[in-house]
Formats: sequence, structure tokens, C-alpha cells
Amino acid sequence: MERAFISRLKPFLDAVAEKMDLYVPRKVEGHYVCERYEPGANDAVELNAIRACTPAKEFLFPLRELAAVFPEAVEPKEVKPFAVFGLKACDLRSMEILDKVFTEKEFEDPFYIARRQAMFVIASDCSEPGESCFCNILDGQPYAESGFDLNVSQVEDGYIIAGGSAQGKSFLAAHAALFGDVPDALLAERQRRRDEVRNQLEKANVDFELRAPVQEIVERGYESDVFDACAATCVECQACTRVCPTCHCFYLYDTAQTDYFAKMKMWDSCMRIGYAAVAGGGNPRKLLGDRLRHRLMHKFAYFLERYGVDMCVGCGRCVDAEAGDVDIRVVLKRLSDELTGKGKAVANKTK
Amino acid sequence: MCQCCAEKKDIYLPELATVMDAKAMNVTERYLRLAMDDGPFDFVPGQFVEVSVAGIGEAPITISSSPTQNGGFELVVRKVGNVTKAIHNLNKGDKLGIRGPLGDGMYPVDEAKGKNVVFICGGIGLVPQRSFVNYVLDNRDDYGEVTILQGTKEYDQRLFTDEVAAWDKRDDVQMLETIDLPDKRWKSNVGVVTKLIPMIKSELKSAVVLVCGPPVMYKFVLMSLEEHEVPHENIFLNLERKMKCGVGKCGHCQINSTYTCMDGPVFRYSDLATMPEAI
Repeated sequence: MERAFISRLKPFLDAVAEKMDLYVPRKVEGHYVCERYEPGANDAVELNAIRACTPAKEFLFPLRELAAVFPEAVEPKEVKPFAVFGLKACDLRSMEILDKVFTEKEFEDPFYIARRQAMFVIASDCSEPGESCFCNILDGQPYAESGFDLNVSQVEDGYIIAGGSAQGKSFLAAHAALFGDVPDALLAERQRRRDEVRNQLEKANVDFELRAPVQEIVERGYESDVFDACAATCVECQACTRVCPTCHCFYLYDTAQTDYFAKMKMWDSCMRIGYAAVAGGGNPRKLLGDRLRHRLMHKFAYFLERYGVDMCVGCGRCVDAEAGDVDIRVVLKRLSDELTGKGKAVANKTK
Repeated sequence: MCQCCAEKKDIYLPELATVMDAKAMNVTERYLRLAMDDGPFDFVPGQFVEVSVAGIGEAPITISSSPTQNGGFELVVRKVGNVTKAIHNLNKGDKLGIRGPLGDGMYPVDEAKGKNVVFICGGIGLVPQRSFVNYVLDNRDDYGEVTILQGTKEYDQRLFTDEVAAWDKRDDVQMLETIDLPDKRWKSNVGVVTKLIPMIKSELKSAVVLVCGPPVMYKFVLMSLEEHEVPHENIFLNLERKMKCGVGKCGHCQINSTYTCMDGPVFRYSDLATMPEAI
């Protein structure tokens, strides 16, 4: 079954929750966070207008996890199937980016892969762009067309649920009794809504439009003062990298338990001063501006070179989370202006 | 780690090794000879291992012995932090964990065949270079003239003194040594390692030059090699970074777009042109 119509979310979510743990979005102080769905209770779930403020990576690559037990090996714990509802197109893109790193041939991360395989992805269209959303600047859009098991689009009197994978389609088929047909008029309405949100997004980000490919902007701006200038207000809170759905740097450390030793993996941040420091005392990125530059170069040049995609999906979480008022859209825009404007960055290139 | 077991393996899990021999080389450096408990250990000069002390942590250390020499592999560890301090407490018979060998950037063992080979080492830089030095000497006929330059800060910091003396005695090796801050015991060259470069007898321009030492040394050695018109393609440098996961994921050892643990730790100088953070 390719797609189906349902007038209320609850019966659909209950059906999902029958089979597996389900996480749903909830609004807390103006932001969406993911919480466990309680099928029995009178649980009214509202469709999130935009992505949650927490990244989807939490489900695949938790903040802290066991990486190895020593000296006896440990198999990745069997991960129970789980579903996440309300992931957005930017979240799906971010998971595809993490896949490149953690499922890389020869160096597969078994813990990541176990979770990824157990995850049932229920995406949904964005209904109103957030203030920091800028996916359109990076070739994204406020709705997903692939990368999900199911996708939910709100229409006037209910929801269109589309199957994106074999597993998603068979879910729809197995619960056919819950659903109605989707007439063409509804699909047209979905398209109208999608176009409208896309237009809103484009309008909201008109000031951040880049005038050259983003890789060229950061590479040719490598020597630019913009990084130091933009990092001037950074307080090294590292929130940008924690909430980033694609940042995946981690720290490996060892612990001793009573009867075994464990190697743990924990999120780290390239914005931290000690991050790149070496044993001899050297530090290739001493200044905040050096680290901001590395973060952006990694996202828009180095990762692209290695894996063929950008490592930023324009979700804007870092913009929301920043304590120091560093806005990635502004940094890119200033570099873009420098490149296409007075030619300062161009001069740097030819120096 | 062999290919056949790489597939489903936990990439963060160390394998057990035993200390076959251990001794202090001086106040800060300790020598260890290790053997894997389970099977052979194949590596190429220039590769490194993650040395794991259970419950304490892991440190990336480049292998100091040559694969041409049997009976395990050797490391020399300088005491600089918690993990290396714990490694210093290990003695014969103790167990530790090893992940590796790691790193695709190795010494150019094949490329250097038939050419003159020049090793330029500063201080502890001799330790990784020694792997390739002994490899070359064990396959002596495959290589052209061999020159080894060693610069050390103080007399008591000299490493592998017996081995260096043996290299010095050979007719087919030019061994030059200097000490920056010598005392009465030292009767030879004085100053930094770059002072030795003009004394190299073999033709430098066509040689393969291997450089390893403290960061400050690179700048001056490279300037001198530039004066001697050594092409950048023929110069190889060891770059030290904090290789944490060792498998190109955690990001700590990144130099611009390059992961030292994957693409290094030995780099061709001409490849560093696009890596402004490297030196």
C-alpha cells in the first residue's frame, strides 16, 4: 500500500505502539522534544510544525555509550525495534550523513548499525518554518520524499500517510482497516501546503542566500578574518556541536568496573580548546576562530571531499542553542559577501 | 587486524598482548617488547597501535621495531600523561590491550628501493624512524646509500645508543649525531640536527628523505631541504596528532580534511600543501 488517509493520529500511533516503543514530539517551552508515547493513556499527540530541538542522532549514537568490554568482548545488545514519529526532512538527511561515517566499509560501528536497523522512521512535513530553519539554503526542503518508512502530511480533514519502504508499506497494508483512500484532490492539497511552506522558508531566508557554492565560499574564505570576527562572541559552550544532528566527533575513554574494564564513547566537540591538543603540548587550533573555521570547513569542504555530501542540513538547531550568538547563516553569508563582493577572499586565494 | 575478522568485529575492542621485555631507557622513556596473545602481528614501518591499559585509557604509539625482526614488536613510550604513566609501570609478563596496526600512511618501503635514503631524526623522532632504518638495513641490497642524522637535546636523552653505535660502525651507513646542549662526555657534533644536513655525503637531491621530530624541527629541516633542492614528493614526515578512535570517526586527529589515523601518520610533504594545519 503506497499511501493512506486517516482523520486522527491516535489510532495510527496506537497501531505503531502495539509493535514497538514509539517516541513522539511534545512541545516544552516553545520547543519540541521527543518523549515516549503511552498508548493506553489519553495521549493527545500534536504534529510538530518543525524538527525537535534535540537531534535525531540521540536515537542512533547516544551521548554516552559502551564501546567495548575488555578483556572479554561484548556483542551489541539486541536493540528492540523502536519508532520515532515526527522526524523532518532535515533529520532524515542527517541520518544519511551519519550512516556514511558509521557504516563505512571495513570500519563499521556495530552499535550504531544495530540501532539504525531497529529504527522505524515516521517522518512528517513541516507546517511552519522555524525562525532558525534554513534547509532551503542548503538544497533541502521542508518535506521528505525518501529516507522514511512512513511519512505523515497534514491536510484539511486529516493526514496522508505515505509508505517509503517495504516495511512502511506493509504496515499500511496490515492496518488497512484504519485507513481510507487518498483521492487526487488530497494529493493536490498536500502539494499546495508543501509549496506554501517552501515559499515561506525562502522568504524568511532571503537575507541569507549564498551567491556561490558553499564549498567554494568556505574554501576560498579560509584566510578570511570573518571566522575570528564571528567567533568573538563565542563562549565555547559547545552547544552548537551537541545539538547538531550531523556532528559526530566523540571521545573514547576507559573505566574500571568491579569485574571488567569498559571502553566508553562520549560526544565531544571540536569547539573545545583541548580537542585537538597533542601530547607534546602543541595545539593546531588555539583560537576560537580557528575552531569555528574548522567546524565549517569540516561541514562544507572536508566531509564533502570524503563522503560526497555536505555535513550540514540547515536545521538551525545550532542557531537556537548558541549561548554566544554565533549564527552559522551569518558566518556563511559574510564569507559569501566577501567572496562575491569586494573580492577580498579572492585576493587571499591568489596570494 | 586481519581482513577476515575485520568484518563483524567491534572496532573499539583491544586484543590482549603480553609484555615480553621492558626497561627504562632514561628518565622519561620506557622500552617495551610485546607479543600478541592470539596469533601473528603483521605491520609495515610507520604504522601505529592504540595501546590500552585496562581502566586507564589508550594512547597511540608508533611501532619502533622492524617487521623483518621476529619475536614480537617494540614500542618506546615517553611519560607525558596518565596513560603513558601507566604504561611505564608495566613489566615483563604484564598484559595490555592493543588495537592495530593502524594507519595507511606508512614509510615508503617500496618506493625508496634503489634510491638513497636519508633519515633525519630529532630526539624521540628516532623511535618510529628506527622501524624503517632496521627494515632498510635488513634488506640492505635493495636500497642506495643510507644516511642517518640524529639530533638530541642532552646527552642523557640519547636513545638506542648501542644500536646507533653499531650503525656508526657499518661501512654502508653514514651515521651522524649531534647534541644541542652537550656536557663533557660528548666529543662530537654540537648543535641542532639541521647542522648535519650539509655533511651528508650521498646525493640528497634524488634521495628519499624521512623526517621525524618535534614540531619546531620540521620548519628548519624543510627550509634546509629546500635549499638542497629536494623535491617535496621525496620528503616524508611523521605527524603527531591525538589519534583517539584510530578508525577515522572520532575527529580528534583531523588535520584539515585528513584523518591522521587513516591517511597518516607518515605523510608525503607534497600532500601537505592542502593541509595548512599540518606543520
